[in-house]
Amino acid sequence: MSQATALTLAAFAAFTGLALIPFALHNPYYVHMITLVLVFAIVLFGLDLIVGYVGEISLGHFGLFAIGAYTAGLLVVKAGMPLPLALIAAGVLTAIFGACLAFPALRTSGPYFAMVTLAFGTIALVVLNEWADLTEGARGLAAPKPAIAGLKLDASRFYWMVCGLFVAAWFVVGRIVASPYGRAFQALQGSVIAADSVGVSGVGYKILAFTVSAAFTGLAGGLYIFSEEYVTPQSFNFEMTIVFLLALIVGGRRNRLGALLGATLAVWLPNLLGDIATFRSMAIASTLILLGIALWKLVKGGFRWTDWIPSLVSLGVAVLSFRLATMTEQRLTIFGLILLGAIVYLPEGIVGSISAFIGAHRGAGKIAQAGSADRVDLLLPRTMAAASLTLHDVTVRFGGLDAVRRLTTCVEPGTVHGLIGPNGAGKSTVINTLTGLYKPDEGTIALGDTLLASAHMVDIARLGVARTFQNVQLFGQMTVLQNVLVGRHRSYRSNLLDVMLATARFRREEVEQTERARQLLGFVGLGEQADQDARSLPYGKQRLLEIARALATEPRILLLDEPAAGLNPLEIADLVEILRKIRASGVTMLLIEHHMDVIMALSDRITVLDFGERIAEGRPGDVVADPRVIEAYLGSAAAA
Amino acid sequence: MFGVLSQVLVSGISLGTIYGLIAFGYQLTYVTSRTVNFGQGEALAAGALVGLSLVPFVGFWAMIPLVVTFGGLYGLVIEKIAVAPSLKSKSEGWILATIAVGIIVKNVAQNIWGREDLPFPSPLPTTPIQIGSAFIMPAEIMIIAASLALMALVEVFNRFTLLGQAFAATADDREAAGLMAIDTGKVIAGSFALSCAIAAYAGVLIAPITLTGAEMGLVLALKGFAAGVLGGLSSGLGAVVGGLIIGLAEATTAFYISTGYKEVPGLLILLAALAFKPEGLFGKVLPQKV
Repeated sequence: MSQATALTLAAFAAFTGLALIPFALHNPYYVHMITLVLVFAIVLFGLDLIVGYVGEISLGHFGLFAIGAYTAGLLVVKAGMPLPLALIAAGVLTAIFGACLAFPALRTSGPYFAMVTLAFGTIALVVLNEWADLTEGARGLAAPKPAIAGLKLDASRFYWMVCGLFVAAWFVVGRIVASPYGRAFQALQGSVIAADSVGVSGVGYKILAFTVSAAFTGLAGGLYIFSEEYVTPQSFNFEMTIVFLLALIVGGRRNRLGALLGATLAVWLPNLLGDIATFRSMAIASTLILLGIALWKLVKGGFRWTDWIPSLVSLGVAVLSFRLATMTEQRLTIFGLILLGAIVYLPEGIVGSISAFIGAHRGAGKIAQAGSADRVDLLLPRTMAAASLTLHDVTVRFGGLDAVRRLTTCVEPGTVHGLIGPNGAGKSTVINTLTGLYKPDEGTIALGDTLLASAHMVDIARLGVARTFQNVQLFGQMTVLQNVLVGRHRSYRSNLLDVMLATARFRREEVEQTERARQLLGFVGLGEQADQDARSLPYGKQRLLEIARALATEPRILLLDEPAAGLNPLEIADLVEILRKIRASGVTMLLIEHHMDVIMALSDRITVLDFGERIAEGRPGDVVADPRVIEAYLGSAAAA
Repeated sequence: MFGVLSQVLVSGISLGTIYGLIAFGYQLTYVTSRTVNFGQGEALAAGALVGLSLVPFVGFWAMIPLVVTFGGLYGLVIEKIAVAPSLKSKSEGWILATIAVGIIVKNVAQNIWGREDLPFPSPLPTTPIQIGSAFIMPAEIMIIAASLALMALVEVFNRFTLLGQAFAATADDREAAGLMAIDTGKVIAGSFALSCAIAAYAGVLIAPITLTGAEMGLVLALKGFAAGVLGGLSSGLGAVVGGLIIGLAEATTAFYISTGYKEVPGLLILLAALAFKPEGLFGKVLPQKV
């Protein structure tokens, strides 16, 4: 039995088990609790797209959750809409809010992003509270479980409905994250600029991630209100957002099982705090476990006092629990301690840590099949004709400084054009301007007949301009293969619906593109590292991976910003060989390099920059003999 | 009519300077380490509550330096527990870690001082002073004067002392400052101490005109952040201007629309500022380097 079949069978058995729960538990209280776990799990699937994949902290999902809950509740209670339609409306309306929220969040990240989402959630609650004509305001909204097609929903039937939606969400989310969409989301975490540089719009995918995430959260909100049957705006608050994040981080990001485990914790923990006897025994148990871990670390790695903090804190909580009659009042402290502990000691979460542990003990994964083609044009069909790249009088200013001044040059199709000059001559600025990261203050840039100077990075990339970066910009948390697949992103014709339904078209494309990506990795000599994390590659190989990712976009012109920097002589020889093969395939290249042997071995023409100005251009032999070039590099004879 | 308008103006300005003061606290840590304390609201509330407990023993005026000291220590602890580890591993963990410390502090404060909001004794007479047609509370004058005084003091410190120069150097380029033998870790810890001290100070300033409680900080801190973003998180003047804009928007909304909606304009301004001018009114845009 293959591993995939075993997993499918296990999932099937687990879902059947879930469906049978109401028969096993006759107590509606427990059925309600498990319903709530599944509802929270759907929220966490959505939240994980932002926190786990895009890599931003959203503090605003409580607001989205509330919008979903009130939408479904009001539509059923006040407008008499059937529940399934109301749930769809909740998902759609919340998704629209999510897309709007993405707008101010687009150009921001880190703390700004978190505060934007918190501000959004706060506004949503104020409006729900104040717009009492619609929402009943602070009095709260009663929303008893409605009948569907004349069938009254009792706790069990409602549970089955939630269960069905949970299973559907499980598969949909699993398919999205394993698709080009999920890879694009995760690429944003690695480097938005690099995503843009392969034509994957950072802005577009951030909006999409938010929209999809909000849709899940809104749907879950719609289920929540009918599970609780009564909510007030105060049911949704900052504390709820903390609980969601805590659940996701403790459970484990980028993992559906982690989300389910986290949701269980989120439902169970508040109950545990109310049950002092169980809490005391749990506190003792966790103290013993943490002491055990600290002892194990002591034996393995010697004494570090930081290893002992978790067990001491846990001991403190246990002692406290014996002095108090209830822990409910200490709820936030417990949440805070668990959150802090998870961030510091368990950053991958419970499920992530367990799977890393199992992975490490099972040994490295299978060695990938290395492709062997020698020429890129055999790997990738030419979809766009080669074109010349012309710069005319291009000037780029930073403040009062002309980083590039009136630069005119032309990169002929099918050639390698070297761009050299001392540090600070403006070489990288040229590449950054060509790819749209900077806008030229004057002058024109054209690829064939198309003007590039005012276009956005993404559009320039889509026209066939690919690049590598002086400071490597990989999607570090993704595998080597996935990095190249992000480069192949634009070759997919499948849409989000294809992905969610796993249509034949999508499955065929995924197989094809994965094969292409593996061949490209073989081409740059990374075939065997395909399944490693990109950040674990040695530096030289990271540079090769950037080249493979850029080639994956089927570029008409490839801009290489110091590809040999930091490489040892053996690696440089390999690099030159690879660049030769790329040239033989007809890809035009603009090559910035300080290693003159690399430049001389590859370039058909060379342009020399100094202080932003072109001081020489011509065939390699002529340029290095030019007295102005020698002066720029070595200083003038008079000064020497 | 004019009387009402000037009343709205006065109350907007006094709120606005408090927001400016809180924004100022965010700036101090943001420039040195690109981090802010997401538990700043709890630092503010803790400062106000500690102040409330100290007043009966030492009086209002002597309480202030004690609360500022408390805030400073609080900032050092936050930095040590929640921020320094994340800065070392270059992760975004500090956002959640500072929130976690914040909710723990809030919870402890709830258990010490209770969940009810408490009145804070004002050192000044509570009869309003008439200026033209507007009535202004002496406490409001104190807020405006004391906020501006502290911000001026910090600016002087930053510009004219060696330690202040170390702050500025770290803000400009942490790596280069480190190479110049500035202990940037200590500078960052110091900026957190100063930041939380300012938050605690803001707490005792605003407490006499609001109420004091563990929950008082969250929205104040959010609006303070909005003020900072609107002005630009690197500009001291921006903090004041951003704070005033938000304070005035809030006072106007509270008077002309509904007090229930008074939090909304400040937050909408935050969203709009980030959507259209993320560097803020007074911030500088630096070219991205790759």
